Amino acid sequence: MSAMQSEPLGRNQRGARVANDRILRLVKSGPERRALESGQVDAVLDHATGTALLLPDAQRALFSAGDQIANSLLAALPREDYQRLLAELEPVALTSGEVLYEPGERIRHVYFPSDGQVSLLMVVADGKTLEVGLVGREGMVGIPLALGAEASPVRAQVQGSGSALRMKAASFREALERCLPLQRELYRYAYAKLVQARQTAACIRFHPVAARLARCLLMTRDRVRSDQFHLTHDFLALTLGIRRVGVTNAATDLQRRKLISYRRGNIRILDRKGLKAASCGCYEIIRNLAS
Amino acid sequence: MRPKKAKNRRSSPAVVAVVVMRLYIADNAPNSIKAIANLEAICKEHLQDSFKLEIIDVLEFPLRALADGILVTPSLAKISPSPAAKVVGNLSDRSSVLHALGIKE
Repeated sequence: MSAMQSEPLGRNQRGARVANDRILRLVKSGPERRALESGQVDAVLDHATGTALLLPDAQRALFSAGDQIANSLLAALPREDYQRLLAELEPVALTSGEVLYEPGERIRHVYFPSDGQVSLLMVVADGKTLEVGLVGREGMVGIPLALGAEASPVRAQVQGSGSALRMKAASFREALERCLPLQRELYRYAYAKLVQARQTAACIRFHPVAARLARCLLMTRDRVRSDQFHLTHDFLALTLGIRRVGVTNAATDLQRRKLISYRRGNIRILDRKGLKAASCGCYEIIRNLAS
Repeated sequence: MRPKKAKNRRSSPAVVAVVVMRLYIADNAPNSIKAIANLEAICKEHLQDSFKLEIIDVLEFPLRALADGILVTPSLAKISPSPAAKVVGNLSDRSSVLHALGIKE
């Protein structure tokens, strides 16, 4: 009974449990019970009260549909298209450090982050990694699927905890075929990511570590929409493709200039304008592409 | 009792029997959206313009649905031509929908 085992909304938990017991009493047998057991029912009508009792999944979907759409790609879709997609989208939590895909792994779900961010890391033969992309609420994790590839070329790892709406790969392919606005948004986004990767490659080759760290912090700030966030030394080293000591030196440099404070991974941007000036021009170029 | 959506167009009334249906849904809940999409696809393929569909939102009109003998949503009721039939669920089982509507695959 998938529909009734799903976790209901916190604030409605008690009410939903009562409703579930009642639903089981109301729908005892027949095709209605079979549909209920296969998760195909949204509401059950109650003769005694003359009302419709919503099942938890339906409650959750209707509740989130009323909210502001946090992910920019989904928010850009016509409302009708978004509501159709919503039937296939499942809210999930993103936990810091969680790996969504490993390189070469078949993509089973695409993710539209609502908050938090996911790092796309290129892994080379000796296990070293380099961040080649960052996905937050402006994008989608699983772009290869939109471009006809089945597997991820990179490791997708959650960098900042948050939440996302995810969709099964098969449903996503179907949605992409029938929903032109989704296609348009994703192709535009994929192009922006391609240009961003080229820009990042040039940035890594030509720009000093402190400027790259400043760019990385500013990009993180834009995604989490806060001047305060948590990024460990290890993660920054992986992201920038340098050793921990390199991160320490660059962070000390930015601290000395009173642009940031950095203590045990807790980062606070003290002077955003100054940090922008300290970063390389790549930040503005990438930012303009994303908007 | 305001119908949310209705279509009633006949291309050759003397020959084609119009299928009259009611679809009971719960706002934009996932299975309700799927049921509408599945039914639209079936109507487009098999019935073209020879159908009349009334969509009733049970969250707005629960008493109407109860009076029509509906227990859960989504539910599709074929009213005419007889025999009347009912399909429960998100209508992803295409063959049951076609059977209920009296359409041969």
